[in-house]
Amino acid sequence: MSSGPLILGAEEASSLRPESPLEPSGASVADRARRATRTVIADRKIAVPLGVIVLLVLFAIFVPIFWTYGPNKQDLINSLDAPSFTHPMGTDQLGRDVFARVADGARISLIVATIVTVAGALVGGLIGLLAGTIGGISDGVMMRLMDAILAFPPLILAMAVTVGLGIGLNTAAIGVALVSVPWYARLLRSEALRIRSLPFIEASYAIGMKRSRVISRHVIPHMLPVLFIQMAAAFGYAVLGLASLSFVGLGAQVPTPEWGAMITEGLSYSLTGQWWISIFPGVGLLVTVTAASMLSDRMRDLLDPRGEYARL
Amino acid sequence: MGAVIARRIVGSIGAIFGATVLAFIIMRALPGNPARLIVGPLATPHAVASVRHEIGLDKPIFTQYWLYISHFFEGNWGYSYADGKSVSSLIGERLGATIELALFSFAITMLCAVVFALLVTYRRRPIADRILRGVAYLGFGTPPFFVALILLIVFFKSLHWLPGPEGRLGLQANPPPTVTHLYTIDALIAGKFGTFWSSIEHLILPGIALGLSSFSFIVRLLRANLLEISREPFLTVARGKGLRRWTAFRRHALPNAFLPTLTAGGLVLGEFLAGSVLIERVFNWPGIGSLVFDAIVKQDYAVVQTFILLAAVMFVLVNLIVDLLYAVIDPRVRIPVVATA
Repeated sequence: MSSGPLILGAEEASSLRPESPLEPSGASVADRARRATRTVIADRKIAVPLGVIVLLVLFAIFVPIFWTYGPNKQDLINSLDAPSFTHPMGTDQLGRDVFARVADGARISLIVATIVTVAGALVGGLIGLLAGTIGGISDGVMMRLMDAILAFPPLILAMAVTVGLGIGLNTAAIGVALVSVPWYARLLRSEALRIRSLPFIEASYAIGMKRSRVISRHVIPHMLPVLFIQMAAAFGYAVLGLASLSFVGLGAQVPTPEWGAMITEGLSYSLTGQWWISIFPGVGLLVTVTAASMLSDRMRDLLDPRGEYARL
Repeated sequence: MGAVIARRIVGSIGAIFGATVLAFIIMRALPGNPARLIVGPLATPHAVASVRHEIGLDKPIFTQYWLYISHFFEGNWGYSYADGKSVSSLIGERLGATIELALFSFAITMLCAVVFALLVTYRRRPIADRILRGVAYLGFGTPPFFVALILLIVFFKSLHWLPGPEGRLGLQANPPPTVTHLYTIDALIAGKFGTFWSSIEHLILPGIALGLSSFSFIVRLLRANLLEISREPFLTVARGKGLRRWTAFRRHALPNAFLPTLTAGGLVLGEFLAGSVLIERVFNWPGIGSLVFDAIVKQDYAVVQTFILLAAVMFVLVNLIVDLLYAVIDPRVRIPVVATA
């Protein structure tokens, strides 16, 4: 592929592809999964976002265990202290250690976002799979339902759910998960339709395989790469959505050290000079979400069977 | 062509219907008792019962749904429980501020996206390209309220270049006589350039905070499209026929690269609607976003509910308009399959 008459500075598309692209079929499922895992792990560019996420997880696990200050331990004498050796991220208006709170916030964000992502993927994936493989009336009904969800700007529907079900981190998680469902459903439905029309599926039927077996042995394994790519992206959105809801006051409530809620709490102090209360949780958010979207993009380059599709 | 349009319109009506049903189920039929939400946790059972009756919760569910949507589409949006005003007048008062901010933000978002995408593709700047892609990543991954906070700390608190969170105008400036409800345009009409400048200054930071994630999305889309189109054979042909590079780029590459960004219209609107709730409070911007933010804090049910339905209707309509425009502009999509965002 030439770089074209007009423009340089674009990477050659071929350099983005893995050295040995995944073969569409032929190898066993376990073999393919192993090869896909190896492609991802061996990739140099994916090491950065993956490493960041591993570090975040370690941070979220170990800091709350070993750090001397608890996230909700108040110390009014030392309130609003600037970052120092004793308090690496300073203290907030109640003298709570921001470092401990950011770490605890990482734990909350990572756990809740993981649950949200898995729940959304399970529900949406199942809907997409059923709509794409069974089709017919159930397809129409489910896709209209998905359209109704997509009729809302995502964050606003999540807000509606939290307002309707009662404010709190759990309902916020339900809202964010609900919003993600149609994306999985649409994506996996179109994947199922694409895979279903491939010749080897026809061949499987021809040698007498039952439909349930074709779906479980051939259709589902082929959908997994696309599902994982979407999950990585959705993880970032989940972190962002949860923080946004908490920022507005719909998610985690005080004194929970959730990142979005911490930013709200520190908002009025930021302009009087105590920037550290809000900035550190914000940086945590930014790092997590950016890592997730980089991970998703790179996984798409490596694993997406549809090639360079939608690589923005 | 006609069939495509008719199909899209029917689809949009269906989506709005689905959205109202969904909103109704979420806000009314699920366990969280709306009457209890309205009167607050300390109210007596009697007060809860009277509110239940007042908003029709004791009626059959289909009647309830009918009342719910007929009131909404009649513009009968109920009264704010926080200050007793009608929701329509509250929203009407604040519409101008939100629209002005959104228009301003949209303008700078599109302008910057085009300029930067051109810069890195036409002018072959690999380093600038990397920086732009990095910014786009960060911009997409940063919540707008955090962007707002950083902008305020840098440009207001530290550098004193731009005004802080004081709303649409500085303290010394008076609002211009109302014509369009947009302070910038009204100030120009009245010939008050000081007020005009003040309102522009006050728009810059919230405008950037609101538009950054849309900018990130559009600039990536535009950049990818430009790169892709520049490899198309028709550009080689255009160059081969003797067109200058810039002319070929402007006449043949740019319009084609722009088309897909049109589909981002719905996404941008969604970002702006949600973003206004997230950032207006930070800047004390007297718009609908801060109205909704306060309503959430005060559990002011009528306001939140109206905003949610309005957002859905606007979202569906904008997506419809985008699709129709697309069909008008791009002859390739006049076949029945029209992609939705």
